[in-house]
Amino acid sequence: MCYFGPMKIALAQMAPGLGDVARNLDLHLETIARARKAGAELTIFPELSLTGYRLRDLTESVAADPARDKAVRALVRASRETAVVFGFVEEKPAEKGLFYNSAAFAAGGRILHIHRKVFLPTFGMFEEARFFAPGRNIRAFDTPWGRMGLLICRDFLHFNTSYLLYADGAETTIVISAAPGRGSAGTKGFASSRMWELMGEAMGRFAQAYVVYVNRVGFEDGIVFAGGSFVKDPMGEPVGQASALDPDFLVLDIDLGRVRTARKNWPFKRDDKPEVTLEALKKIVHGYGD
Amino acid sequence: MDMGIDGAFTVKVLTRFIREELGKKGFRRAVLGLSGGLDSSVCAVLAARALGPKNVLGLIMPYGDSFGRDVRDARTIGTRIGIRTETIDIKPMVDRYFERYPTDSRVLKGNKMARERMSILYDRSARESALILGTSNKTELLLGYGTIHGDMACAINPMGDLYKTQVRELARYLKIPAAIRTKPPSAGLWAGQTDESEIGMTYAEIDEVLLHLVDGRESAAEVVARGIPKARVERIEAMIRASEFKRQMPLIAKIAPRTVGYDFLYPYDREK
Repeated sequence: MCYFGPMKIALAQMAPGLGDVARNLDLHLETIARARKAGAELTIFPELSLTGYRLRDLTESVAADPARDKAVRALVRASRETAVVFGFVEEKPAEKGLFYNSAAFAAGGRILHIHRKVFLPTFGMFEEARFFAPGRNIRAFDTPWGRMGLLICRDFLHFNTSYLLYADGAETTIVISAAPGRGSAGTKGFASSRMWELMGEAMGRFAQAYVVYVNRVGFEDGIVFAGGSFVKDPMGEPVGQASALDPDFLVLDIDLGRVRTARKNWPFKRDDKPEVTLEALKKIVHGYGD
Repeated sequence: MDMGIDGAFTVKVLTRFIREELGKKGFRRAVLGLSGGLDSSVCAVLAARALGPKNVLGLIMPYGDSFGRDVRDARTIGTRIGIRTETIDIKPMVDRYFERYPTDSRVLKGNKMARERMSILYDRSARESALILGTSNKTELLLGYGTIHGDMACAINPMGDLYKTQVRELARYLKIPAAIRTKPPSAGLWAGQTDESEIGMTYAEIDEVLLHLVDGRESAAEVVARGIPKARVERIEAMIRASEFKRQMPLIAKIAPRTVGYDFLYPYDREK
């Protein structure tokens, strides 16, 4: 699918209530209505936007089968008017008792893609692998606005994920996040915020794709989420950035024609050799030498 | 690593913390103990900014008149930021107990006083429908330089991740009067007591070590290699180790398949 034109996207930097799906759904629907009024074609919510992040033993009680769950279905219906990316806890009937930290891309009244978070941070303050099963796939997918990829928070800090989406043809990488702010000494704002921006610039520039990063705000159990959602263009240049700490709503124009410009002027994509990467990886992973 | 903090940003985070974490529990009001010292003064200013001064009650709880200057400073800061204050003398309650169970130990007396204040704070918390703001800083929490179930007891603690040095910097940013900022820090366990003489190190010396050990995750040897005296590093490490019990919930003997705190794990902030 080829799409070269401009597109309006809405970044919904919000603070979901922990475990309160009904209230969060209302918040989503209000925001989608607002995005539609602003002319946005796609509205993006943060990680676990439907449930809140630090669920721990609440995880199972908010788990949803996307084919049947009322809240998920309501968002998919709302996607008839403007496409939506949202985060939720997924439990499929075929995998009972396994909970995934998932992101759905819905457009035109149906789900086009679900990404399950592959890299579950479990160290220090993070305990995701204690409660979630890891996703096992990273694929780009077609949308009415060209090929896109979905990543969830920590996924993006492993740069192989961005490469996989690049190799799979993504022109836009959407990262939904619940990234806590930490390390404030000696810096303006949180030190951790710079890490995300740096990755966004680098992956925008070298995967020659738009990078859309939507983080949440608010507190959960004393932990503050840092916000600072942003869009970087296929040259790594900033398109827009939301405030730190506060809920924000940004409607930004992106131009997918810039992907073409970037890839034409700097032919990294043309010269990429995924088969060499694959063969080299096989040798590394299987441990045999040259 | 750097100890310096961005005052405006830190205030923004901490005032939101107070407002949001109280709000999630359905509270709009806060109560805190005002000692006339640096930490509680900073906390009171943050609370007043977060909730509005009328929603903050500062309890000044001296033991008799042994801390006259502190009481005056506490009242000054209360008036300055427009919060309600109330002075409660804890001497009658504390004396009553020690008349019956006498001791010469200043530490035992100090702990009892700290817990008397805690008991009054919790009583007022219920009467006022206000949550208790803790005022322990990161240095105290790590060294265990506080009374368990005394001054360490609270509902939420906005200051617990700021070293004493950083609280001082924040106090300057918040324009806390110099009289409070320059006063030698004291736990108020007895008249004339100061933290730094009791611990035997200055807060600047302690915080430098803690920053590298805790935030930098360095080993004691790595910290010593920075040119910091070995005895100081070892002393601080020993204080951290010895006070672990003050930073944890009481241990529960696990018998059942699912046990509070071990595998019964709900978020503090669940909203539904």
